[in-house]
Amino acid sequence: MSGSLDETSVVSSDCCTIIHIPEKSPVLPHLQATVDVLASVIEPKHANTIVRKLNHIAPLEGLRHVKRIRKTCLDGGKSQLFVILCLASGSDGETNFVPEDVLELVNTYQLSTFTTKVCKHAASTKEEWEEQCKLWPTSFHPPTYNIDGITGFSEEDSSAVFNFMKLAVCMAKSGTSVVNAAVIVDPSTRQVIASSCDQVLSCYASTENTSRESCSSNQAEGSTKVDATKVEKDPVLLVKSSNEAKQSYKEVRCLHPWGWLEQQSHVGPDSWHPLRHAAIVAIEKSAARDRLLFPVNGQSADFAQEDYKVSSPADSPLKRQKINTNVKHDERMDHHRNGLQCDSTRPYLCTGYDIYFVWEPCIMCAMAIVHQRIRRVFYAFPNPNDGALGSVHRLQGERSLNHHYAVFRVLLPEEILKSEAIATPSKID
Amino acid sequence: MDSSVEETVPETESVAFMKLALEQAKLALDSLEVPVGCVIVEDQKWQKNGLIREEVALKFSKCTLYVTCEPCIMCAAALSIIGIKEVYYGCANDKFGGCGSILSLHTNSSGKVTCSGISKRKEFKCTRGITASGAIDLLRSFYEQGNPNAPKPHRTPVQRV
Repeated sequence: MSGSLDETSVVSSDCCTIIHIPEKSPVLPHLQATVDVLASVIEPKHANTIVRKLNHIAPLEGLRHVKRIRKTCLDGGKSQLFVILCLASGSDGETNFVPEDVLELVNTYQLSTFTTKVCKHAASTKEEWEEQCKLWPTSFHPPTYNIDGITGFSEEDSSAVFNFMKLAVCMAKSGTSVVNAAVIVDPSTRQVIASSCDQVLSCYASTENTSRESCSSNQAEGSTKVDATKVEKDPVLLVKSSNEAKQSYKEVRCLHPWGWLEQQSHVGPDSWHPLRHAAIVAIEKSAARDRLLFPVNGQSADFAQEDYKVSSPADSPLKRQKINTNVKHDERMDHHRNGLQCDSTRPYLCTGYDIYFVWEPCIMCAMAIVHQRIRRVFYAFPNPNDGALGSVHRLQGERSLNHHYAVFRVLLPEEILKSEAIATPSKID
Repeated sequence: MDSSVEETVPETESVAFMKLALEQAKLALDSLEVPVGCVIVEDQKWQKNGLIREEVALKFSKCTLYVTCEPCIMCAAALSIIGIKEVYYGCANDKFGGCGSILSLHTNSSGKVTCSGISKRKEFKCTRGITASGAIDLLRSFYEQGNPNAPKPHRTPVQRV
């Protein structure tokens, strides 16, 4: 699902372009559904009275976005007012059924009625709205209510977004192969909470730490040297390279969730797992971090520590923390029953955190981060195979879910991609 | 509700396995955890403990999963990825269900089917309604007693009719 209509550019700063992926797939303006209404020219001096009466006797149920009055300019600077009287009867054969109250109004003001079309649904984009108004004016409310406070990237914010995405892209190059990477970030402190590559392959254990370290140093150098003008000049180039990417990267698990079944295994046990996609492992690390940093009465921090030791970078000070909790099962249950385990400082899963992906997550990973209460999702490349955030599914628009995050695509300058060998398929084949 | 999910009159075998899943769910309830239980049943005795990909893939393809509540979108996707043979579930999951309620990830009909490349969505047979009331009763008990692991602030535990 590509194309400019699908996406609303939120910011284009001097370092990267961040594009909001809306909850609903936008409708092409000329394909929007319409309904027939009965309308009439009215005298401007009667407009107020007539509209008030109509709102009472024939409210436009389900068409709240449609304006009752239309004003058109005639030659010579004069204007003409039209009003919607009521819905015109549909194609069910009942021609021109008009409510009695409306008929009375028509007679009183000697209106000559005609049938016209208005758009059935409220516009979800400015482009849709502009098209709608050619038929009959509607009102347009940009869909900011659901992502309130989390769009509108400042220069500083978008620079941070860019740096975290760069970190993810850097991690995605793991040894000789390219995999997906996920980075969970606390945006309030700009701190990486957890990060991981796909771990369904054989050699992740040895390459990951090295990869992380080199990334950290890259990140420290900052992003100012990047020639970002290229993005603005030629965004098509980036789209093109991402399309190339989808065909080549067989080891990116979210792109090929079922690929593990067909891959030859030359490795022994313990070094692969069909479900250890980058996001799943990053979530696991984030949970282990919580258990370690926010120990709870009655939960074994030793266990958490074991988990975290395996996955944390070698130089992490967290690893050296030692917490003793040897609470017997019965006591643990008592604490639970008394509610003593509540700790208001402990984060609830990943509430308020952002996650960065190189590739749009598959449906499993996308739902996993719904469960985690992630606030914003950023990805660099779409995933036409199983992408859950706009490409195949649009999970951010599933209203029945108990949590919704805002989704953004980050367009990176070509130089970054080249330097990380992401955009050059020949290097990875 | 997706029509490709079979609604069935419980048969003895599936009911027996679902009862085992319900037992697991009860254990969870006793530990103040969300009372959803599951058991995985293998078609035939596995001959050796193989861990290479081909063997694991074959193993999953002979497994049937019994779960008290419809798998969520994440779990349904995971079951498809590992290539499970069949899933039986108790009650539907109207808010998160990935096997007919919200999405139908057990079929190829939802979303695009990938024809290019090496990977293709794996379908699995799905049957719902096995001892659904037992699963619902457990969930109801859980929400009545309040969930200590819910985010704070959260709804205070109250009795619901």
